[in-house]
Amino acid sequence: MTERNSFFTTLENEALICGRCGCCRSSCPVYKIIGWESAAPRGKISLAKEAFAKGDKSALSDEFVKRVAQCTLCGACASECATCIDTRSLWLELRKRIAGLGKQPAAYDAIRETLLANKNISNFENDERLEWAEDLDEPEVVEPRAGAEVGYFVGCVSSFFPQAAQIPLDMVEILTEAEVDFTTMGADEWCCGFPLISTGFQAEADQFIKHNVEKIKEMDIHTLITGCASCYHVWKHDYQEELGDYQLEILHNTEYLARLVKEGRLELNELEEVVAYHDPCDLGRNSGIYEAPREIIAAIPGVKMVELYHNRADSLCCGGGGNLQSVDAELAEQIAQLRVEEVNASGATILVSACQQCEQMLSTAVRKAELPVRVMDISQLVLEAL
Amino acid sequence: MRTEILEKIKEKYGSRATDSSFECGLYSRDLGPVPGLLVNPLFNTTPDLVVRPSHAEEVAEILRTAYGSGIPVTPRAGASTVYFDSVPIKGGIVMDVNLLRGIVELDEEGMTVKVRSATTWSELEGYLNRKGLACKSYPSSAPAATVGGWLCMMGYGLGSLKYGSMLSQIKSIEVVLPAGEIRTLTSETEPSLDWFAGSEGTLGVVTEVEIEVRRLTAMEHFMLLLADESELLNVMQAFMNASVTPYNLHFADQHCLRAMDKLGFGLEGVDSGCTLGIDYEGTKEELEQARKTVEAITSENEKVTRLEDEVAELEWDGRFKALKLKRGGPGVLGAEVWLPVKELAGYLAEVQTMGPKYHVDLFSYGHVVTPEYITVMTTFYADETRTIPYIINLSLVKKIQDVGYRHGGCPYGVGLWNTPYLNRIYESARLAELRKRKQQLDPKGLMNPGKVYRPPFLMQPLTYGLGMDVMAGVQKLVGRGGSR
Ligand SMILES: Cc1cc2nc3c(=O)[nH]c(=O)nc-3n(C[C@H](O)[C@H](O)[C@H](O)COP(=O)(O)OP(=O)(O)OC[C@H]3O[C@@H](n4cnc5c(N)ncnc54)[C@H](O)[C@@H]3O)c2cc1C
Ligand code: SF4
Ligand code: SF4
Repeated sequence: MTERNSFFTTLENEALICGRCGCCRSSCPVYKIIGWESAAPRGKISLAKEAFAKGDKSALSDEFVKRVAQCTLCGACASECATCIDTRSLWLELRKRIAGLGKQPAAYDAIRETLLANKNISNFENDERLEWAEDLDEPEVVEPRAGAEVGYFVGCVSSFFPQAAQIPLDMVEILTEAEVDFTTMGADEWCCGFPLISTGFQAEADQFIKHNVEKIKEMDIHTLITGCASCYHVWKHDYQEELGDYQLEILHNTEYLARLVKEGRLELNELEEVVAYHDPCDLGRNSGIYEAPREIIAAIPGVKMVELYHNRADSLCCGGGGNLQSVDAELAEQIAQLRVEEVNASGATILVSACQQCEQMLSTAVRKAELPVRVMDISQLVLEAL
Repeated sequence: MRTEILEKIKEKYGSRATDSSFECGLYSRDLGPVPGLLVNPLFNTTPDLVVRPSHAEEVAEILRTAYGSGIPVTPRAGASTVYFDSVPIKGGIVMDVNLLRGIVELDEEGMTVKVRSATTWSELEGYLNRKGLACKSYPSSAPAATVGGWLCMMGYGLGSLKYGSMLSQIKSIEVVLPAGEIRTLTSETEPSLDWFAGSEGTLGVVTEVEIEVRRLTAMEHFMLLLADESELLNVMQAFMNASVTPYNLHFADQHCLRAMDKLGFGLEGVDSGCTLGIDYEGTKEELEQARKTVEAITSENEKVTRLEDEVAELEWDGRFKALKLKRGGPGVLGAEVWLPVKELAGYLAEVQTMGPKYHVDLFSYGHVVTPEYITVMTTFYADETRTIPYIINLSLVKKIQDVGYRHGGCPYGVGLWNTPYLNRIYESARLAELRKRKQQLDPKGLMNPGKVYRPPFLMQPLTYGLGMDVMAGVQKLVGRGGSR
């Protein structure tokens, strides 16, 4: 399956193109929970049309701004759109316009300030980027080093949040086992910029993009892997202009691990588990990567793989995208609950994903629902099978 | 009194009811791109209250209360209609039925499924496909349209040619009548379930539908390129008369193809002519026979070329995206005509002479939905940001319907905007029967008032026709349609 084409022109034009048919309505996880027309993609686009294409600034109410922020940027609406509007780009542009007018939610300002101050989304200083590696037997293996075959872009969540720190630890172990010549960017890794792009602060995000590209070039890295679906999407799309003709192969961890498995560099042993895979929106629907993770799971002997009711391009969001948690944590949780109902129905004993945000959302929801299901990153599953 | 009652409902339904102007404004429109300048002086399309009941008893309670207090109620499901079918014109309550969704039960032996009415066709098809079953037919708005919504409209779409109208597939429905009585109706009850087909929310609220399903079978898709529209009808009829009936038979005229091409949606290897798409489903033997039919028809006719199978498959995959033509506007106006198939060639020829006269490019596409009828959509670009020229452009919608009428056609669906054509849509005896039913079930005229049965005062056929003709005259003299 390939990535969806984008025909995006301008906010004004796309808002006028929308035919209000509602084909985007039923697949929207936010609409599923809220249920009001103003929460449906077409409702928001109608208001955007009034505000921007027709110049009725009264349409730019606080209620509207709230609805624009209540969106996970999952892209389900873009897949369904009957007029091929790249609604995900439309939401980003809308958030940019709203920020341009200074009408963004207060939570977005906090995100911006943190990022500008720390270069990452946590409250820690960026110098502490490699703190997680202290749990390794040989932490020095991750010290930045120019000219390595592979650069591992760890991402803010995995670097700073204890719940996600297991992911880089597992990845390092796997890469070491496969004898990959890899490195990280250490404190020179800044946030990929997605939290700024998705809150409407594109100009600020551009500084982050510029910085990261400069460092990658300095380190002479030509293959970059990342375990975060959003970092991956941003590197693949928003970094291209800055990268210019610099040769950089950008891979998600799942693509790289699938390659290692295929090349016989990882030998997977038997696991007696029923595994379901949750497609992260930014990796699946928004980047077109569906098969690599499935190939990895299928390569583990003994594993019975089951599909969730909504899968691949139809996958249901975990609720954690688009900075939704920062403005409406309860809504994000309710969306995760919808997904967990599908996990329960699937009979899986392990739920695997390939995005630390999905894992965090789904673990919490699985715990709340008291399901006997382990939620893990694909790297953890691979490590268990090694 | 009215305010108090509305307040009471609002209080009772809490977060499932709203009278906020922010929200209610969004329920004041459907797809119909009619400017406020035209609508607002005539109709009150903003509901006083929107309420979202979650089961039949709640629907009944709301209807009972509204009925007792003389408050109009307009049911709204996917709101994927264009004639203000689900838009109130006298304010009151909009009943958003979208919480009535989900599968009630599947009877695999009896090959029927019972669903709550606001389940979308895509949801139902997705559910059935996972069980090795499928819907017999569905509208080409399946991701948006609900089962109940299609029943209450005309119920013809993809699959109708092979499996008949939606009505013919229904076993029973659960409805709440205007005064709040919950009933299960079949073809044997009084009233019969068929009263609700095409009732457009004017007789009550449908809460459940029991409908036939089919086995999920393999499909084959074919796409033919014809030099021009002159041959279209013959080829179409050859497919309709063949031993295997297509699941779906649809065409796009050359203007439509050209417009799609300009937008980057062109078909590989096609730069002129019109297309006929033929989709089959069935057993291996049926599909084999279908392939032979396609081969025979194409080899007999040198004006017909068969396009690559991938082109046909892509077309099928994009079956819910006909609206993408709108990207060239971005405004689009048009008319959907229920047309005798045998009149298709004449209709298309006349439509094409009309375009240049009124300074617009007209694009037509359509689906054969019964052995006798085809629904044809004829559209043109119009810039909705230029209000006055746009309003003048609107008159061409009537001109297209007039062409359809001259060829034995009529509008597909009524709602508000097609009420001036009632005498074209229904024979007088049929219309009288429909009015009698309305009188019997809703004597106070509170369910979705202003739709289906009578045109509003200013839209009487004579005045409406005259007004539209004058505007069309202006369009002819000075008008321009087109994209921005
Ligand atoms: C791209 C596109 C393609 C389309 N293709 C087709 C097609 O192939 N065939 C076709 O017939 N139409 C088609 N339509 C028109 C429309 O989508 C269908 O008629 C659809 O079935 C309407 O369903 P809905 O749920 O959107 O109903 P709505 O638009 O919400 O309502 C339609 C009418 O039914 C009433 N109603 C809705 N639900 C209930 C209920 N539960 N009880 C009582 N009354 C109710 C409403 O009051 C209204 O009068 C198309 C539209 C678009 C935009
Ligand atoms: S991106 Fe996802 S959450 Fe946002 S409007 Fe679209 S479907 Fe809804
Ligand atoms: S599917 Fe596309 S055109 Fe239809 S309402 Fe949604 S955004 Fe608008």
